[in-house]
Amino acid sequence: MSSSSEWDMKFLSEWDDKIAKLAESEGLDWFPINYEVCDYYSMIGHMSYHGMPSYYGHWSFGKAFERTHQMYNMGAEGLPYELIINSNPSIAYLMRENPAYLQLLIMCHCVGHSDFFKNNRMFQNTRPEAVIQRFRSAKKRIQAYVENPNIGIEKVEKIMDAAHAIQFQIPRYPVRRVSHKELKQKYIDLINNDEHDDYKDFDLTRIPLEPEYDILGFLLEHARLDEWKRDIIEIVKVHSAYFVPQMQTKIMNEGWASFWHYRLMHKLEVPQEYHIPFLKSHNQVIRPHIGGLNPYHVGFEMFRRIEERHGIEECFLARETCHDVSFLRQYLTQEDCYDLGLFSFSLKKDKYTIDDISDEDGWKTIRESLLRNVGTNGIPVIYVEQVEDSNILTLKHEHDGRDLELQHADEVVTHVSELWGDIVKLYTNIEGDTWEI
Amino acid sequence: MADRSASDRRRHKKKIEDAIKDGVHHIVAEESIIGQDGKKKIRIPVRGIKEYRFVYGDNSQNKKVGSAPGKNITRGQQVGKSKKPSPDGDQAGDKPGEEYYEVEITLEELTHYLFSDLELPDLEKKTLKNVVGEKVKRHGYRPHGIRPRLDKKKTAINRIRRKAATDRLNKELIASGSEDARDPEENFPYRENDIVYRHIKKDIKESSNAVIFFLMDISGSMTQNKKFLARSFYFLLFHFINARYENTEVVFVAHDTNAYEVDEEKFFKRGNAGGTIVSSGLDLVHEIIKKRFHPSSWNIYCFQCSDGDNWANDMEKAYKSAETIKNMCQLFGYCEIEPDQERLKWMSEDSRMSSAYQTLVSRQFKIVKIHIKEDIWPAFKKLLGKRAQTVDII
Repeated sequence: MSSSSEWDMKFLSEWDDKIAKLAESEGLDWFPINYEVCDYYSMIGHMSYHGMPSYYGHWSFGKAFERTHQMYNMGAEGLPYELIINSNPSIAYLMRENPAYLQLLIMCHCVGHSDFFKNNRMFQNTRPEAVIQRFRSAKKRIQAYVENPNIGIEKVEKIMDAAHAIQFQIPRYPVRRVSHKELKQKYIDLINNDEHDDYKDFDLTRIPLEPEYDILGFLLEHARLDEWKRDIIEIVKVHSAYFVPQMQTKIMNEGWASFWHYRLMHKLEVPQEYHIPFLKSHNQVIRPHIGGLNPYHVGFEMFRRIEERHGIEECFLARETCHDVSFLRQYLTQEDCYDLGLFSFSLKKDKYTIDDISDEDGWKTIRESLLRNVGTNGIPVIYVEQVEDSNILTLKHEHDGRDLELQHADEVVTHVSELWGDIVKLYTNIEGDTWEI
Repeated sequence: MADRSASDRRRHKKKIEDAIKDGVHHIVAEESIIGQDGKKKIRIPVRGIKEYRFVYGDNSQNKKVGSAPGKNITRGQQVGKSKKPSPDGDQAGDKPGEEYYEVEITLEELTHYLFSDLELPDLEKKTLKNVVGEKVKRHGYRPHGIRPRLDKKKTAINRIRRKAATDRLNKELIASGSEDARDPEENFPYRENDIVYRHIKKDIKESSNAVIFFLMDISGSMTQNKKFLARSFYFLLFHFINARYENTEVVFVAHDTNAYEVDEEKFFKRGNAGGTIVSSGLDLVHEIIKKRFHPSSWNIYCFQCSDGDNWANDMEKAYKSAETIKNMCQLFGYCEIEPDQERLKWMSEDSRMSSAYQTLVSRQFKIVKIHIKEDIWPAFKKLLGKRAQTVDII
């Protein structure tokens, strides 16, 4: 493409310095960023692996690649693809095909992301210093299992597919998992000091002693698993946990990065001819997706309004302490709902129909619907209820008014029994009736 | 950096192919493919390669939120139809409603998928010619290639397709008043991604002397339904052999009380009448072998389809003939067609051909039964599966 001659490494490095200086003076505090220049094809490759330089192999990443590739060919080309990972130092990719102004926009955007990774509370346990090494070592181990003639790709995939099916059925907020042993000790102590007979009938042999929301963690502790299977499950669990904070802050994270690329690009003294194309790209990034919800759009608008209403300090406070749910609950006003044109809709007799619009009566229910769908709230909550007598594992769905999609649930239960090695049952509600899978 | 996703894409592709194979088996028994020529395209449904998760169902309790700033929207307004996930691209892949997609393949490709795990057992290389035939065959498309193999039509289609997609996006951009909207009159040049070349591959086929006998009962007791099942079964065999072996002769023998050597078309379309003397057919096969396909230089396969009915006095003779032929054959496959609804009406178990043949069962002699069309594929696999062992009765 013609634009690639507009810039070279020297150009990027000079602007990187300028951006860093400006961002610092604005109060941003981010990890050092290593930029990697790559062509569009590798960009899509990196995107399929969430940007991680060495993610373990799995066919689903091949599928992700094909999908992105197809979307690109179907006309989504020209979008400013940006990709940065939460590591220290951060790794970000710049596409060779991008024109000069776009590289600057993306670099500013990345500084915003990296600042968010470094400061947001949700990320405090992601260990960004070690993440690259962690992923690399996992990849090597998985590769070894694939090459092991006693295991092989088919078996590895079977376990991996099963673990992936419940990969986000893990704690949603950073808490340390309490082992069965510790929990048991806790109840023994309680029973020993039980002055009010609160624990008279407590069954210490029950597994688990308390509802267990960390299904992968439960399986690791209680299922009879070969060492290699255990390792794969552990890897999937650790990898998934690493990505949970990003799921929970998608709107904030993209909003914050967009807020800052906009701000920094305005304050940087960029050549005059960059202005129009920059605004064009910016508008494309934060444009509303009519009928859908563009996290860049919502996040950018929210930070812009918070700054207007409460000043920039409040923005910094939000980026440190909030996740999408608390962020929107705290800051989204009726005015915002109206301006963003938010509406709630659902499927009625195979037609999507608007339930509420953002007027006086509707905006609060819309906000509630929104909160139920952002972050990890879109993932149904399932927990381990009990291991029954003949080693049947019973799972329960914490029903919140929304029914599960049964075909999916059915397949997932099959996956879980693959890991559990015995019968697995799931209890949920469908149209008000108890349902067993 | 090397193409890091290559191996994961390969695994994904393999899964799609497996899914196609799965889908193929379901349509084997569909009448529409029976009797078509090799070039006709067949649409087969393929299960998407899904990653299952716990997800909420798409229904009235599950309210989602969308945005439409500046648009005049009202409660109760319809904003789309089911199966079309909201433009929130991230989730589209995990939504139900895209369970199946259809793949169009030719009969030739179909047979490839169907038969890739099967082969004619025991193709002893007999004395005469045993050359390896080489054929150049079209094999998909590639983004690179030599000029003469540029596929102009496909390339043009790619551009048109990309243009349509861009226009669609553009319309949306214009509608939302975005400055990025491009002038629809603007040139829309070819891109490197549009260009495709035909790819060719050398196709090596084993070329051995093999003759296949298809022997079918066309007597009055062979009802329309039975004949359909038999025909489907032979159809598979025929295409399997065609796909696999270059120099294979096929002999069609139909019989009622008499036997006739017929051509392919007559074999599959012949009307039915009369009683049944199985030995007549077997004797004709024997005769043809003696005359034209000496066992020392030919690999001989014989497949017989019947409803199990035979004239009682002919049983012993038929058994003897079958035994003689079996000893000349690499494989004698007997397929008994017995639709469920017509079962046991008038025939006792042990007056069937399959009971009479039972003692012949060995590595070279296999018996399969077909009751319904869904049995055809398993029966076929049992007969020709690589690891198929001796007594295979469904």
